[in-house]
Amino acid sequence: MTGLALPAIVLMVVVNAYPVVFAGIQAVHDGDLLGLGNFVGFANFQDALTDPLFWRSARFTVIFSLCGVFGSWMIGFALALMLKPSFPGKNLFKILLLLPWIVPIVVSSMSWNWLTATPGSLLPMLAADLGFGRVMFLADPTMAMITVCIFKIWISYPFMMMMMSAALEGIEPNVNEAARVDGANARQRLRYIVLPMTARSTYISWILMAMFSVNDFATIFLLTGGGPVNSTTSLIVLAYRSVFQDFRPGFGVAISFLMTAALVTMSVILLRQMRKANMQ
Amino acid sequence: MSTIASRPRKLALDPRRAGIGRTLLTAIVTLVMLGPILVVFWLALRPRLYTEITGPTLETFAYIFAETDILLWLKNSAMVSILATLISVIVAAPAGYVLSRGRGGAVSAYSLFIFVLQSFPVVVFVIPLFIMFASVGLVDSLSGVAIIYVASSVAVACWMMSAYFDTIPVTLEEAAWIDGCSVFGGFVRIVLRNSLPGVLSTAIYAFLLAWNDYLVALVFLRSDDRFTLPIGLQTFFQQNQTDWGPVMACAVVMLAPPVLIFALLNRFFSIGGIGGALAGK
Repeated sequence: MTGLALPAIVLMVVVNAYPVVFAGIQAVHDGDLLGLGNFVGFANFQDALTDPLFWRSARFTVIFSLCGVFGSWMIGFALALMLKPSFPGKNLFKILLLLPWIVPIVVSSMSWNWLTATPGSLLPMLAADLGFGRVMFLADPTMAMITVCIFKIWISYPFMMMMMSAALEGIEPNVNEAARVDGANARQRLRYIVLPMTARSTYISWILMAMFSVNDFATIFLLTGGGPVNSTTSLIVLAYRSVFQDFRPGFGVAISFLMTAALVTMSVILLRQMRKANMQ
Repeated sequence: MSTIASRPRKLALDPRRAGIGRTLLTAIVTLVMLGPILVVFWLALRPRLYTEITGPTLETFAYIFAETDILLWLKNSAMVSILATLISVIVAAPAGYVLSRGRGGAVSAYSLFIFVLQSFPVVVFVIPLFIMFASVGLVDSLSGVAIIYVASSVAVACWMMSAYFDTIPVTLEEAAWIDGCSVFGGFVRIVLRNSLPGVLSTAIYAFLLAWNDYLVALVFLRSDDRFTLPIGLQTFFQQNQTDWGPVMACAVVMLAPPVLIFALLNRFFSIGGIGGALAGK
């Protein structure tokens, strides 16, 4: 039976595993895009770990991923709960609400750009009319971080909505009904029935979304390019720039490896805990 | 009698009234959430700069089809995405079957292998693949790009297929095996035949990923005539920053295919089950 996995294994070894190994070799060399260069040991890793920009980017990566994971989970879960009972138009809304995930990021980044970029855009004008003064959504470092995070939440909530809708379908209606008969109010039912019974899907969707967020290049790059003054540069954007703008692939790959190592460690610990807790 | 009869009717009416309230609430939330997408359609009707036209117009669409290479980008994107989708499904279906039915160390190791590879960002793969592809003439080629899309979608595709196969009872294949069917025969004739929703679901995922990608196309596609939509559109956007009408008309062309596919096939799409394949049983 395992033979059936052979095409996938061959494919993944050639286009996934081999490049990772090759990149590992690049990470301990000082070459450019054309040649491997000289062996430098762990100098690239050392450079990365002592670079203030690396730590700044790491900080933004954490903020961006936490927003991506928990922000989109909260909105996605709330929408999944809203869409659970049947009501007129439910199926249409279910599809419409997935659109931010389906529309290409190249397109949505352009519309967010139109909404936020210049003082004459819609949201800055709205903010000015409401008395917030001149809000620079993409030009002010802090505001740019917030805008990018909200953009990420907007793109990602449909995924969470799908994951949590599927989890909610799995709850037997009579469990909820029994709790209602026993006098549990909506909040208690959410706290003691719905959340525990969807915990497994919740954790899995967190792990997946953490993975998608940390590795998310296009969302940030297309909206801000990592600026202003590197405030929205995440590790993946920094890695991209090191490779393709500074032509230091070893350094860029070293950053990616550090990032992936942290990511995999975190996911494996979470998965272990899930198994230990023996979640439903 | 009449009072007893009217009671249940009143009870039945109440949830419906609550239903209308929920429809309204959902409609408002949906409108807010879709704001940035509505903006795309609204801006696409904006007349081009330096034209006589005032007010909403469809002339922007006539303009982009006549004056830009958008039909070529559309064709390139379609070819790349369809190729990537086909390969992804053909490779992931049998692998997902192994993940779903297999037990033991080898399968767990395979599962971990997929998970770890999926955790690496595309940036890591890009240069080694670029060098590898350069030696076989796949740089600046649509097939080369399609292969990388397969590489980046295959892990989740395997999980999705595996999640779907989990819902098909093993007894079906076991019956076929007893009747003398091989493992491969049982997989193709029994399991795969009953898995159209799972296959479509995986195909939609792979298609969306390929259609929406930006990074790989940015690095690998160099000549104008091989641009896919994201690169063509981004280049056009950079050249016409303030001329929103034609830029957003291109954007409408780009978002239409995935939205149409989803509108037609959404009842098959389900990604909620991939957790089982990921976390183990």
